[in-house]
Amino acid sequence: MQLKNVIESPCGLRFMLDRLDLQSGFARRWLLDSEMMTTEQEITACYDVLRHFVDFVRSTEPSFLNTLLFRLQGVKDIRTTIKNLRQSLTLDDIELFEVKHLAILSTEVVKLLKEHNLDKVVEIPSLDEVITILDPDGMMIASFYIYDSYCEQLKDLRIQMRKNPDQQDELLLEAAEIEEGVREDLTRQLHSHVDDIERALVALAKVDIDVAKARQMVELGLCFPSISSDGSSCYKAMFHPQVKDALSRAGKQFQPVNICFAYRPTLITGANMGGKTVVLKTITLCQYLFQFGFGIPAGEACIAIKDEIMFCIGDEQSIEKGLSSFAAEMKNIDAVIKASRENRKLLALIDEPARTTNPTEGTALVQALLKVLATKQMSLVMTTHYDIEPGSAYCLRVKGFDNGLMNYSLVEVEDGEVPHEALNIAQSLGIDTEWIDLARLELEKTE
Amino acid sequence: MTFIDDILNYDSLSIVGLQKNTGKTECLKYVLARLPLEQKRVAVTSIGIDGETTDQVTRTQKPEIVLREGMYFGTSEAHYRQRRLVSELIDVSDENTSLGRVVTARALTQGKILLSGPSSTSGLQRWMNDVRRHGINLAIVDGALSRLSLASPAVSQSMILATGAAFSINMSQLVQRTAFVVDLINIGVTNERNMTLLGPLDKGMWWIDTDCELHEMEAVTSLSQQVQFHGMERCSTIYVAGALVDSFLEKVRKNKSLKNVELVVRDFTKIFVSPKQLRLFEKNGGKIKVLQKSKLIAVTVNPTSPSGYVLDSEMLCDKLSQAINLPVYDLLKN
Repeated sequence: MQLKNVIESPCGLRFMLDRLDLQSGFARRWLLDSEMMTTEQEITACYDVLRHFVDFVRSTEPSFLNTLLFRLQGVKDIRTTIKNLRQSLTLDDIELFEVKHLAILSTEVVKLLKEHNLDKVVEIPSLDEVITILDPDGMMIASFYIYDSYCEQLKDLRIQMRKNPDQQDELLLEAAEIEEGVREDLTRQLHSHVDDIERALVALAKVDIDVAKARQMVELGLCFPSISSDGSSCYKAMFHPQVKDALSRAGKQFQPVNICFAYRPTLITGANMGGKTVVLKTITLCQYLFQFGFGIPAGEACIAIKDEIMFCIGDEQSIEKGLSSFAAEMKNIDAVIKASRENRKLLALIDEPARTTNPTEGTALVQALLKVLATKQMSLVMTTHYDIEPGSAYCLRVKGFDNGLMNYSLVEVEDGEVPHEALNIAQSLGIDTEWIDLARLELEKTE
Repeated sequence: MTFIDDILNYDSLSIVGLQKNTGKTECLKYVLARLPLEQKRVAVTSIGIDGETTDQVTRTQKPEIVLREGMYFGTSEAHYRQRRLVSELIDVSDENTSLGRVVTARALTQGKILLSGPSSTSGLQRWMNDVRRHGINLAIVDGALSRLSLASPAVSQSMILATGAAFSINMSQLVQRTAFVVDLINIGVTNERNMTLLGPLDKGMWWIDTDCELHEMEAVTSLSQQVQFHGMERCSTIYVAGALVDSFLEKVRKNKSLKNVELVVRDFTKIFVSPKQLRLFEKNGGKIKVLQKSKLIAVTVNPTSPSGYVLDSEMLCDKLSQAINLPVYDLLKN
């Protein structure tokens, strides 16, 4: 699973990536192509490196950071050139320029990283020999042509060219042959360094990504997670950066939430507008951020590694496929059940299943779904408005209206009984009283 | 000829042809051959394909561009590989064109080069900023003025306009039509406040009220009978980010509430109105202003049309010069 496959997940991953201040397009492509990590070893290594960069971002002078960022902006995607070099295709001047440019750039970045002892954290191979090959005059300037010093004969031809411009075309032709020979020779010399060149390119992209992640952690107040060993995930003061951002722009505050879940299904009930969907979105977001090595939007987090993350938000109609919202949802949940039968570590987050059908059948569907998934070795967090028997499920409830204000925190309850606050909330929204009053009468009739 | 000295007063110059074969490349050649390189570090590029040995449309001979030692140039990868000079690469940009990326290099000997370059206005702007970092203090843009080109030459500080028989073989019509373009180039810039408000907007239509508040205008299509929007009696400025066309100008003119409104466009290349509509609009109290303006230094003429018809060069220069109040040169004749 690559990051680019899940970037449009409705959990808000796109927001985090848009807020990641990457310096080069290559770093962005490299990040989007990166695979989701599923082993403890990978994730630990990734966060160890990131910790050093966070320390660096916190302690460094802004001017130093800007110098580093400016250098990283110069990184170009030269993978095609590297491929050609690997195949020993003679590089042309533009490709040789690209290699030289990268070599000088990476040397400069290494020098900068050394000042903060970060050269031990990220390994960038030395390209000094590459520079020697492509900079015969030792100018250390990122420009290139087939220098006079490569060949005495070439030098003579060029002197003649300047003296006799009218013979230039013939002289150029003669020089072209020699230049081609030089290029072949340079390509041969560079060929043995191709692995180092490629490693340096990737390392520069990684530095870019790590600096950006570190700056994001500091700016958004994200935390380093610990890796759970028993399959349970626990978040303290978890928040959704995008929702928090939108709220703060409206002059409001986001109320952080605590939540823990493991292999027992977790059922969240609560009033409308209680933030149940936001909780599911945030858990999904955190899980992805964790397995792609980003900072986690929480005060504290201990997260279990998963092989697969499935988020069913339910209200997506699939017009292209000609599916109604109900059919689309059924198909999504069906995929969760199928996946739960495979022997993989699965996290499923299901938002109000069967909400678009009649409550009698809807309740039956949700009840049965809970029973089916409870027997599987998976993590499940589900929200619902239906009254169902929780069975073995762990039940949480949004606190709800508290002194006229919505309290978004989750409290553990014995059963899954759902609150009946829809009419009060509708009233607080200023919905037409004729409608709401009549609804109250209808409700009294049935009770 | 003195316009070479005028060029030295600016950081950037675009040479714009009103039509193919109006002598734009000749003009560029002329300028490049005469610039005092000891005073200015010069870089040259073109928007879109240019510098091909034969004109792709009319199959007539086109001069190649000759660079002098020490000049910088921006061209596409494909054309860089065909260069006929020794040059040192200094930059490979991310700017893509149909002929590959735009590369920048310095000529180490004199020689011939095929020029192509960034194909969008923002790409051109980026290239100009990039070469400035290499110490360039005169960037020259070979710019086609055509609706096919997405890049606007108006990002340069100064401009030379090339016109000629290829534009029209009827002399009085040629003078009239060229004078109209000169009028458009000379349209003044709007005030500072409008520039800050409107500068970042690259699409849509906007209006500014008398309290300097910016509003987006509901869509006005060519089908709508009139320009009408809520609050228009307080409208002081209308900004059209795209093309300004006759029908819109007419609708604004016919709206009594918008009698003294200032109409702003990005630059003169966005104006596609007829002389008649423009005159009526201005007569009615309307004003047109631009966000970006280039100083027109000179106009050059090529009296020969691609079909072989030749106008009287001296007469053409005189008539045009009178009509536009600027020096006019026939570079091939001199």
